Amino acid sequence: MDAGTRIFGPVYWALTGLALAATAGMALFYAPVEATMGPIQKIFYLHMPAAINTFVAAGVVFAASLAYVWNRSTRADALADAAARVTVLSCSIVLVTGMWWARTAWGHWWSWSPRLTFSLILWLLFVVYIALRPAIESQQRRALVCAVYGIIAFLDVPLVYLSVKLLPDIHPSEITLDPAMRHTLLAGIVAFTALCAGLIRVSYAARVRGGVGPVPPPSPPQTPPPNPPRGMVGA
Amino acid sequence: MRTLRHALVLARKDLLIERRTRRVMSVVGVMGVLVVAVLALGLGPAARGGIGGASVGGVGGVGGVAILWTAYLFSAVLCFERTMALERRDQAMAGLLLTPSDRGAIFLGKLLTNLALVGVMAAVVTPVGVVLFGLDLSPAPVGFAAIMALSLVGVAALGTLFSAVVSGQRGGESGLLGLVLLPLCLPLVLVSTQTVMATFAAGGMPERTVPLLVSFDVLFVAMGWAGFVLLCE
Repeated sequence: MDAGTRIFGPVYWALTGLALAATAGMALFYAPVEATMGPIQKIFYLHMPAAINTFVAAGVVFAASLAYVWNRSTRADALADAAARVTVLSCSIVLVTGMWWARTAWGHWWSWSPRLTFSLILWLLFVVYIALRPAIESQQRRALVCAVYGIIAFLDVPLVYLSVKLLPDIHPSEITLDPAMRHTLLAGIVAFTALCAGLIRVSYAARVRGGVGPVPPPSPPQTPPPNPPRGMVGA
Repeated sequence: MRTLRHALVLARKDLLIERRTRRVMSVVGVMGVLVVAVLALGLGPAARGGIGGASVGGVGGVGGVAILWTAYLFSAVLCFERTMALERRDQAMAGLLLTPSDRGAIFLGKLLTNLALVGVMAAVVTPVGVVLFGLDLSPAPVGFAAIMALSLVGVAALGTLFSAVVSGQRGGESGLLGLVLLPLCLPLVLVSTQTVMATFAAGGMPERTVPLLVSFDVLFVAMGWAGFVLLCE
């Protein structure tokens, strides 16, 4: 049993489940209701951790893609693939919770505020990463193309951030948090990060085990026996 | 210097073939005009803010630039696919890779070819968009051309890189390049559109967004060059 399997075992998942349940409980019963926005503000305890983990997972895609380009390790490709899926999942949560909040706070589901636009472009970049993989037949080619795409997509992120700053912003830039709110947010970040790390590990292990990403090393060329038995030549 | 010379020779070869055969521009130019025409027909009189246009506000300004970008991007994808398809025929790319010039020169040559062809396409499509959508470029015609040229460098760099990779894939020749290119170009399109609007409003190039456009170009050309060299290994 390798270290990864030992760490991400049943105990890890039980603790992650507990942390998520504790965050939900803290958000509902411990953190006070925000005076201006009301109960909808509690989405924040999921929205913010998901946003943080979107960047972390996208960073893993970038690092794993660089590793693949550097050493052509099929495990690095599998890790990039797994992290891209978690990036899309986290970013989807950011978008959905953001839209829910916008509907309640601003009266409409979508506004072209820089952060919303930024999240949408980030989501699109990584959805395409996932869509690209099955579209390329050769495994080595797929891994290389996706690694190059993953690197460019991540390097694009700071420029996307700067470019969307050109749009008018109505997104709150900073929120003053009560200590109870801060504790709940911290619990949410820990729980969601544990969940994302676990999901990346599960997805990565499935790819390594099932051969979805990695390619088996080429077998050595088989040399014919020096004196083939009579009757087999030209058979 | 040697790399640049080789790149120019390669681009000259490609453009000479194109001048004789019209294999790329005959399709790409028509595609661009078609996209603009389809959007104009779909919007009807509202396209120019004419009859009924007042109710929807017409599309002039940002809408017009966005429509031009739609036509540019779809045509550019087709252009990149076709210029690279030329090299895939009869293993021409393998021959190119065997020449003593480095991989970067091949990328640069292809980039120059794509830029020239996309530039011609934009020169054909833009007047059609101006006529059909009533887009007024008079506040800053040179600024508009300069911003679009700057933006198309980034698009062409990414297109050249990914066309080398995905255009030869079986079962996915068309569509796959667009799938990769469009999301990567989204921020560039956003900055370009905002820069054009700011230029029209101020009458000069905005100081804030032009460096951002240049950053996109530098990043995309550098990544395209490095990625191309890597993918050719």
